[in-house]
Amino acid sequence: MKILIVGIGKLGYQLASAFSQKGNDVIAMDKDPEALQRVEEHLDVLPMLNNGFEIDALKEAHIKELDLTISVTDDDETNILVAFLAKRLGSKKVIARVRNPEYDKQASYLKAEMQIDRIVNPDLATANEIARYLTGALPFHTEIFEASKVLVADVHAGNMPDIVGRLIMELGIPRNMLVVAIVRNGQVIIPHGKTQIEPSDTLYMIGTSDSIESFYKAHCQNRIGNVIKSVTILGGGRIGYYLAVNLLSKRMEVKIIESDKPRCQYLAERLGNALIIHGDGTDINLLEDEGIFNSDALVSLTGLDEENLLISLLAKQHGMDRVIAKASRSSYIPIIEKLGVEMAVNPAMITAAEIMRFTYEGNIRSLALLAGGKAELTELVIEEGAYILKDSLAELNLPKGIIVGCIMRADQVIIPDGSTRIKAGDRAVVFTVSSDQQMVTKYFHPVRR
Amino acid sequence: MNYRYVTRIIGLLLVFETAMIAPSLIVSLLNRGSDTMPILWAMVTSLTFGLLMAAVKPKDKRLGVKEGFLIVAFGWVAACIIGALPFYWSGSVPTFVDAFFETVSGFTTTGATVLPDIEIMPRGILFWRSFTHWLGGMGILVLTLAVMPALGVGAIQLFRAETPGPVADKISPKMKDTAVILYVAYMGITVLETALLMLGGVSLYEALVHTFGTVGTGGFSTRNLSVGGLGGAYVEWVIGIFMMLSGINFALYYDLYKGRFKKVLLNEELRYYIGIMLLASTLIFLNLVFTKHTGAYDAIRHAYFHTSSIMTTTGFTTIDYDAWPTFSRLILIMLMFIGASAGSTGGAIKVVRVVVIFKMIKREFFKVLHPRAVVPVTINGRALRPDIVSGIMSFSFLYLLMFLFGSLFLTLEGIDLTSASSAVAATLGNVGPGLGLLGPKGNYSFFNPASKLMLSFMMLAGRLELFTVFVVLSPSFWGRSKKGAQMPQALDNGLE
Repeated sequence: MKILIVGIGKLGYQLASAFSQKGNDVIAMDKDPEALQRVEEHLDVLPMLNNGFEIDALKEAHIKELDLTISVTDDDETNILVAFLAKRLGSKKVIARVRNPEYDKQASYLKAEMQIDRIVNPDLATANEIARYLTGALPFHTEIFEASKVLVADVHAGNMPDIVGRLIMELGIPRNMLVVAIVRNGQVIIPHGKTQIEPSDTLYMIGTSDSIESFYKAHCQNRIGNVIKSVTILGGGRIGYYLAVNLLSKRMEVKIIESDKPRCQYLAERLGNALIIHGDGTDINLLEDEGIFNSDALVSLTGLDEENLLISLLAKQHGMDRVIAKASRSSYIPIIEKLGVEMAVNPAMITAAEIMRFTYEGNIRSLALLAGGKAELTELVIEEGAYILKDSLAELNLPKGIIVGCIMRADQVIIPDGSTRIKAGDRAVVFTVSSDQQMVTKYFHPVRR
Repeated sequence: MNYRYVTRIIGLLLVFETAMIAPSLIVSLLNRGSDTMPILWAMVTSLTFGLLMAAVKPKDKRLGVKEGFLIVAFGWVAACIIGALPFYWSGSVPTFVDAFFETVSGFTTTGATVLPDIEIMPRGILFWRSFTHWLGGMGILVLTLAVMPALGVGAIQLFRAETPGPVADKISPKMKDTAVILYVAYMGITVLETALLMLGGVSLYEALVHTFGTVGTGGFSTRNLSVGGLGGAYVEWVIGIFMMLSGINFALYYDLYKGRFKKVLLNEELRYYIGIMLLASTLIFLNLVFTKHTGAYDAIRHAYFHTSSIMTTTGFTTIDYDAWPTFSRLILIMLMFIGASAGSTGGAIKVVRVVVIFKMIKREFFKVLHPRAVVPVTINGRALRPDIVSGIMSFSFLYLLMFLFGSLFLTLEGIDLTSASSAVAATLGNVGPGLGLLGPKGNYSFFNPASKLMLSFMMLAGRLELFTVFVVLSPSFWGRSKKGAQMPQALDNGLE
């Protein structure tokens, strides 16, 4: 695919990186030379120093040949205009990032009238991701395929003390479940039977929902049925706002601590059922006075990654175990998770994953970016003539970084083992480590003659 | 520093070089020359070392800026050492230093030779000698990129360190595609010129050898008299025009192919390049006519050919231009410094840098009159980033410094000033022949080994645009860097 990305901030960079690693032709456009220099040095993309809403600039990027234009500058209005222009000038699909909650309400109007194929809202997406995590009965974020029959879960080994130190083969993993990857100190490890589990590991599991649930229940002692009823949000920015709306709709108790007075006013007017407290989130006295550490979960969403991390650690120390921190720099995520914070959310990555999900490429659909973008889950329809059909999975000798996680054949869900043979027409969920991403085409696409 | 991966890539480069020596082996076999075994042994050596080095398994495939420079600098030296083996083993040159000099001169598309009599050399050797021009012209690593499976992100670092010009232009989003496009254009020009030369009655072998010398802007010939011995005005005009074409940024050929004529016509560097070439040939033509050196037609012919040859840093000759009046000779020396366009196969400072420097000077004048004026330096209507402008200034200054110190070094040989300085200008600019002792009639064989190694260094530094070589030689490159030229964490895709 030929893709133009306008605006190379954190999200733009993440997208350029993800798309170019999958072998797409990516043009990165920004009016700031420094932003471009970063992509130029680290990614195999074509940098273009231009202002995206100049028609000449878009024409210079050969807009008519483009399959997708993504506008993710800092400015909502610019993004809408760029997407609109790009569509009119011939880009097949266009995506715009819009963050302002007021505009978000008119998203459907914009989509219809300005022919913008998709409007993404990183703050909303992030809030939804956190809400999903908080409301799910299981303490892992789940990616649900096939109407909940199959799910992917990531679990910290620390939550299941009895599996730490044991080998994978000793765990008694149910037949309909696989441990596809382990993230250890920020590195993706593809486990085998003899991999030993360390306390800091995060396990990525794929399988039918019952088998994962039963496995989890068998090993996790203390938290069954522990449903979250009250949540404290530090920082009442856009994500905090969307999150509060979401959680309130699920009848949870929500407290927001925000240091900006007018913002508190704004939130209080719009979120009638939430308790809005004006104060400094790093003030421990305030936190204690307000009984923050007694709530079931804490979400730290202030503008500073460092502050989020410290508050989360503080909450940990006060005995909270449901702590989520926002990390705008994706490089912080492994460190934060290593320090025991349950979940570190990165808006850029969540949005990138959402955009990737939207972009079908032939028969491939991206489902999720995992482990800080180092691995990806994709769903593929296997067509006649693909190399993967030749033999059983064990005989094919797939690269280490490619794992077939599950197969959907008609209504049946199959969690494959070495003897499984894929048939044409199957839909497969494949886990790939990004360094092996380009190999997916070789094994799963029909050979072109 | 990812030494394992660096070793592996240089290994792959040598394997690749083995394949590139093969055509010379075929030429040698067809001519039943005495050089078959030396070439074969060079291939065996290259393959052995290449496979051994390529067998090193990298722990991860990360290539940073440093690795890029290291691969290009050492890759070139390794390619030159292996490439020197056929010369040395066939006994064409007396010492290994001579063989190394000749190969460096080939790969860097200089065309400076230590061979006093070319015509007695076996054909396979001569073919290899010219083929190194073709390989080095567009870049051996760029070629390796074009044929090898994707190197991914690291490829950009290699491309940047090897491609001439202040900014490396990517033509297509993917590095590999860019490399392929450049080589397709390169091959297209090669085929066309070979065909045109053959129409002029030149044999396939000699047409190929001279084409390699032309499109790579090298200048090795099969004749002692260079192109002058090849015969005829037609051949001279063909080579003259193709030298000029090879001195143009190859990215423009892609634009031309895509039908973007306006973009090509408005390209500022191209306009100045053609302009300077026409101006220089006219001045030389007038000088030759007024001093009654030759007749008018011959004056046009020789003036154009040598302007084109020297400015593109090719170094083919048809007559002894050293016998020209001093005015014309000095113009040639000036052209040696200006050189061809960025992104072409030619060398020296490059037209675009010279243009930027003149614009800077103009701006300074202007600022004296209007101290508060804000005047950006523009190329093709776009303001250049200040760091690129300062990069151009320091490049040009370093270039002149190298020229001065190189000349100083050569004067220790006890030769005259013209010969010493033109030798450095001709090697640093990858031209080949100079003036005086190194004019079209002379060669570099009389220098002592130390001078030859120094000149080889000049050629490599000139071809790799100074910084690639100097960066690798600088102590901070090898020390533990504080800031680190490593990739950000976000790109850390290592699989353990």
